[in-house]
Amino acid sequence: MLRRALRLRLGPCLSGRGLGTYRGGSTLDWDGKVSKIKKKIQSIFPGRAWSPLYDTSHLPPERSDVVIVGGGVLGLSVAYWLKRLEKQQGAIQVLVVERDHTYARASTVLSVGGIRQQFSLPENVQLSLFSAEFLRNINEYLAVVDDPPLDLQFNPSGYLLLASEEGAAIMERNVKIQRQEGAKVCLMSPEQLQKKFPWINTEGVALASYGLENEGWFDPWCLLQGLRRKLQSMGVLFCQGEVTRFISSSSHMETASGEQVTLKRIHEVHVKMDHSQEFQPVECAIVVNAAGAWSGQIAELAGVGTGPPGTMQGTKLPVEPRKRYVYLWHCPQGPGLEAPLVADPSGAYFRREGLGNNYLGSCSPTEEEEPDPGNLEVDYDFFQEKVWPRLAQRVPAFETLKVRSAWAGYYDYNTFDQNGVVGPHPLVINMYFATGFSGHGLQQAPAVGRAVAEMMLEGHFQTINLSPFLFGRFYFGEKAQEHCIL
Amino acid sequence: MLKYIIPTMMLMPLTWLSKNNMIWINSTLHSLLISFTSLLLMNQFGDNSLNFSLTFFSDSLSTPLLILTMWLLPLMLMASQHHLLKESPTRKKLFISMLVLLQLFLIMTFTATELIFFYIMFEATLVPTLIIITRWGNQTERLNAGLYFLFYTLTGSLPLLVALIHIQNTVGSLNFLILQYWAQPVPNSWSNVFLWLACMMAFMVKMPLYGLHLWLPKAHVEAPIAGSMVLAAILLKLGGYGMMRITLLLNPMTDYMAYPFIMLSLWGMIMTSSICLRQTDLKSLIAYSSVSHMALVIVAILIQTPWSYMGATALMIAHGLTSSMLFCLANSNYERIHSRTMILARGLQTLLPLMAAWWLLASLTNLALPPTINLIGELFVVMSTFSWSNITIILMGLNMVITALYSLYMLITTQRGKHTHHINNILPSFTRENALMSLHMLPLLLLSLNPKIILGPLY
Repeated sequence: MLRRALRLRLGPCLSGRGLGTYRGGSTLDWDGKVSKIKKKIQSIFPGRAWSPLYDTSHLPPERSDVVIVGGGVLGLSVAYWLKRLEKQQGAIQVLVVERDHTYARASTVLSVGGIRQQFSLPENVQLSLFSAEFLRNINEYLAVVDDPPLDLQFNPSGYLLLASEEGAAIMERNVKIQRQEGAKVCLMSPEQLQKKFPWINTEGVALASYGLENEGWFDPWCLLQGLRRKLQSMGVLFCQGEVTRFISSSSHMETASGEQVTLKRIHEVHVKMDHSQEFQPVECAIVVNAAGAWSGQIAELAGVGTGPPGTMQGTKLPVEPRKRYVYLWHCPQGPGLEAPLVADPSGAYFRREGLGNNYLGSCSPTEEEEPDPGNLEVDYDFFQEKVWPRLAQRVPAFETLKVRSAWAGYYDYNTFDQNGVVGPHPLVINMYFATGFSGHGLQQAPAVGRAVAEMMLEGHFQTINLSPFLFGRFYFGEKAQEHCIL
Repeated sequence: MLKYIIPTMMLMPLTWLSKNNMIWINSTLHSLLISFTSLLLMNQFGDNSLNFSLTFFSDSLSTPLLILTMWLLPLMLMASQHHLLKESPTRKKLFISMLVLLQLFLIMTFTATELIFFYIMFEATLVPTLIIITRWGNQTERLNAGLYFLFYTLTGSLPLLVALIHIQNTVGSLNFLILQYWAQPVPNSWSNVFLWLACMMAFMVKMPLYGLHLWLPKAHVEAPIAGSMVLAAILLKLGGYGMMRITLLLNPMTDYMAYPFIMLSLWGMIMTSSICLRQTDLKSLIAYSSVSHMALVIVAILIQTPWSYMGATALMIAHGLTSSMLFCLANSNYERIHSRTMILARGLQTLLPLMAAWWLLASLTNLALPPTINLIGELFVVMSTFSWSNITIILMGLNMVITALYSLYMLITTQRGKHTHHINNILPSFTRENALMSLHMLPLLLLSLNPKIILGPLY
């Protein structure tokens, strides 16, 4: 009625156009206001989400039973197995805190995506075996109602590790251990190698081990998204933020042998939001450090390593980010579709990428030529000087390759023995580690997640015994060394 | 009666004017002294009640409940000390004032002669409880919980006001002492059906009856420890007490009007016990166990036999102490581990053996072990319902089995087994906590020696 009155009054002035017919709605916007009021009234009824305080939906909850710092494949795997192994549905509240939901610098998505069982530690072989079985049956593990099945694009082409004269004995020993654990690996002499893969130059190769089953490469982004989707359906909360602080309390206790220890427990995790000073203290019972390359920083926040060096308190988590390059090149005369992931004794490796004669590869730099991990810029000179000569020496067809692109990613590099750290910290008793895998974290993630979840729920490892990978080894000096890393 | 009300009221200036480091000591000590004076109420005259004045009276039904109420205040104060450590002194004093105010209203509710006065105090207890739940609870869901609690109880009790005013108009007086002797049979008519429903629904919601119990798990879980204790121990009994008083006016309609509610309670008792077996949250388990025990009380009150009334009264007192103790134990867990999930904190017996002893005692009383008063209450109720209808013994028996199952499940999950690594450094039990548990357990065990004082007016 008011509108009509206004229209009548202003009729002669606004020729033809009334107030109500202004394009985009009336200037008074009655409909919008009424619907807003209706929505507000509806939200106040019990059962709807309403809080008389300001909107905090972007913040994580005020409390959560388990807080997982880091939303990469290891963190999501721990969350998945926690939810899967809990005795009743919905028993444990899990919160995954991830700083960057585009995963721009996460090791998971920048990885080459290979999976192999050819390790020298039996635990590593077992981990990869279970992970291969997980990936093979991924659509049973990560099935979500009404969602399409996952296509991991698993290429079961196997790994081909080449050994020179010095390394041949070690390789034979390793293969024996792998076969004991159940991996299917075959050893080849240079002649057999030449017959099977004619494009290889077998000069300097004394022995080769070729994985026949459960080895190859897959799409890590697909695994990550599959895990995320499944976790969201299982009720795990995701939050975008950065962990800036741990509020903890210490208590002095005495061990059975009479020595004094200070045990610390984390009460709250402060999660800071992006581009703002706002943070949310999340009260928690357990914290899982799965922050990948930045696990060292998170561990320092929790007070790991703050103490006189040489004591358990002073033992830092020796995980630091190391930059590794991956180059993509095109070579029509290259090895072709049958090429496995070939690892040269000099440290260079490559694999086929897709069906268009493209190949991915790189080389691990030596200690002196470690690139600066401050940024993810690619150094093409490294390819020219270090990688290409070695590749060309091993595969003569690669002399005529053309680099298409390259990227760099971080390894969560364990400077102690290049193998993962799992399990609780002896002194910060409610922080569990699932990090430090130095380049083979992605392939072992499903099994490691299960092991850490078992540790949290049962108190000991049930399926795969990862006691060599506990934190205590850094203090006792017991290296669980692997003999070659890619 | 003023000898209880005025000291309770004066607890408030006591807290506000105390020095900051003396607020807990002063309030706890003085409320403990007041609770000792409440024992004077036991000096009852035969069948009649102890009439203090025209406004207040107490008989052998309200006496045990009153003693429980006044006993619980020092316990609540002791239990709340830890989680209020970080608050400012003003907030602490405010919290204590809320508890004292609630105590005041509860004392006046249990001793009210005039039923409108009872109603006003009954409603007034909601306000401090709501403030305690929504201001000092732990999680964001507490706002939702407070809303559920407030509106369920309010909606249930509004018809009660109308019914009471109607009775006042028709009878001329709502003084309970007079109404006891006035009670004329209520003929069957539609308006009397609504009168019966209006009178009873308020208390059904409060008890809570199985279909209207949705507010209870929410409110209990989200409330701070003092809120949980007072909710479980006293506020649920308000419903039982009110039902016992008001059914005097509603005969003989109760004989047939009560059928749906008896059925609902019998069924609900088994349902909520079964839900307890599937709970992962410790406080939620204890909350559902409360619903289950109260369902027994509802059945007992509605069948209206002398034995069932005795059982109901005994059960109310026993459950009050047991439930409150279980909540205190769950809270001592929560304060150390910051999680209410049962499976994350296991094997506590090896780390805290004395607390394990309290857990054991509380679980045993919860499953009605002889010779505790829990058993006496349950046994009387089972016997009276059996004579009311033979089939109920199957349901009651099933309930006792499931109660035993979930009590032992709770005990075994939290206490037995290998402890998880992340509870290695929990602080040992404080003296305050041990005192709290023993102050819960002592009355419970002592009452087993002389249960006739809690058996109510029909003994």
